[in-house]
Amino acid sequence: MSKQDHILTVEVLDQHGSTFTLREICERGECHAEFVIKLVDYGIIAPVEESPEARHWEFDVGALSRLRKAQRLQRDLKMNLPGLAMSLELLDEVEEMRREVGRLNHRIRQLMGE
Amino acid sequence: MDFKDYYAVLGVSESASPEEIKKAYRKLARKYHPDVSKEEDADTKFKDVGEAYEVLKDPEKRAEYDQLRKYGARADGSFEPPPGWQSASGFGGGGYTEADARQFSDFFEEIFGGGRRGGFSGGFGGGGFRQNMRMRGEDVHARIALFLEEAFHGCEKQVSFAVHEADEHGRVIPRQKTLKVKIPAGMREGQNIRLKGQGSPGIGGGEPGDLFIEVEFAPHPHFAVEGRDVMVTVPIAPWEAALGATVTVPTVGSKVNVKVPRGSTSGRKLRLKGKGFPGKHPGDQIVILQIAMPEKHSAEAEKLYEQLAEAEKNFNPRSKIHV
Repeated sequence: MSKQDHILTVEVLDQHGSTFTLREICERGECHAEFVIKLVDYGIIAPVEESPEARHWEFDVGALSRLRKAQRLQRDLKMNLPGLAMSLELLDEVEEMRREVGRLNHRIRQLMGE
Repeated sequence: MDFKDYYAVLGVSESASPEEIKKAYRKLARKYHPDVSKEEDADTKFKDVGEAYEVLKDPEKRAEYDQLRKYGARADGSFEPPPGWQSASGFGGGGYTEADARQFSDFFEEIFGGGRRGGFSGGFGGGGFRQNMRMRGEDVHARIALFLEEAFHGCEKQVSFAVHEADEHGRVIPRQKTLKVKIPAGMREGQNIRLKGQGSPGIGGGEPGDLFIEVEFAPHPHFAVEGRDVMVTVPIAPWEAALGATVTVPTVGSKVNVKVPRGSTSGRKLRLKGKGFPGKHPGDQIVILQIAMPEKHSAEAEKLYEQLAEAEKNFNPRSKIHV
């Protein structure tokens, strides 16, 4: 069963777009604030602007996606926080390298006249 | 319904020890985790591996499964449990563990189940839910692949995704939802758009979740994108490089005339200000020159090359590799 609506207004989110407070990100991530604070401590996610007081933190949508990813990895692969932090950093690096390889392959194909 | 060979899924023998099964599961779960793997069917493989482990790690379920495995599949690979089959280890004994049971196959349901049909209550938001509870609906995160031209000019796209909603019995069931979304011009790879209230419906009068859509680009045969800049390699003739020329260069959705400076070399970059991705701070188009040679030369051209070789005899194109 599918329902189709016509949507005309969307909100583009970027670094300067709308952000979530600590409470909002916990609500959306279905987790406790302590978990988010730990993720920030380990550098897994970061508020848009650093502040010593967690109640002043604002997170962008990238942090929300990363929080969900961290939760899935923790649940499915039984990872602890240092392991999560390292894995996510390596996954970012792999992703960046895949993009770079894609760009370089594209460039090589063009140079070869393909 | 097809028979599922859980031993084959985990790549272990029938006589595998619980340790071997755990080890195989851990390895495959890491390999096929949808957040890690880029394989197209990683999601399905990850679910299959999780389901196989759910059965084989539990001695009771494993014993029951082994019994059924001996009973076997039909010649066409389809499977029906023996008449009167009832699992002793399924939901009655405490139900699913940490795995998300909504993901498991019909085969699993038939053997160990009664779950979804019998009023499965786990899963939503990590715990059960009661009808008098007020809960905000889940946010849904989806991805959309756009052609470069679509992202550049803006477009309308159809997006399909699954939301979870409660039926009249309070059971959480998945439903496919399709929306037509207007993508604004100038969206870049990795950017998100939000459609408020288009995620899963709330429960007990709670507000609905949002839909987040992340944009990714389909590869383009000529253009590559780096941030807001668009890169394109443009072939030019050797005499255009040497003498300078005005050449026509493609931009996304248009063409412009570009002046190639006299004495250009292969790999030289020309920046076309403001011809990249549109926006408050539009990007540039970077033209990378590439000197192309004709495949064949006329006798006249060869004579001219001979004259050129004579005139440029001090030029060593291989000086950088010291020969």
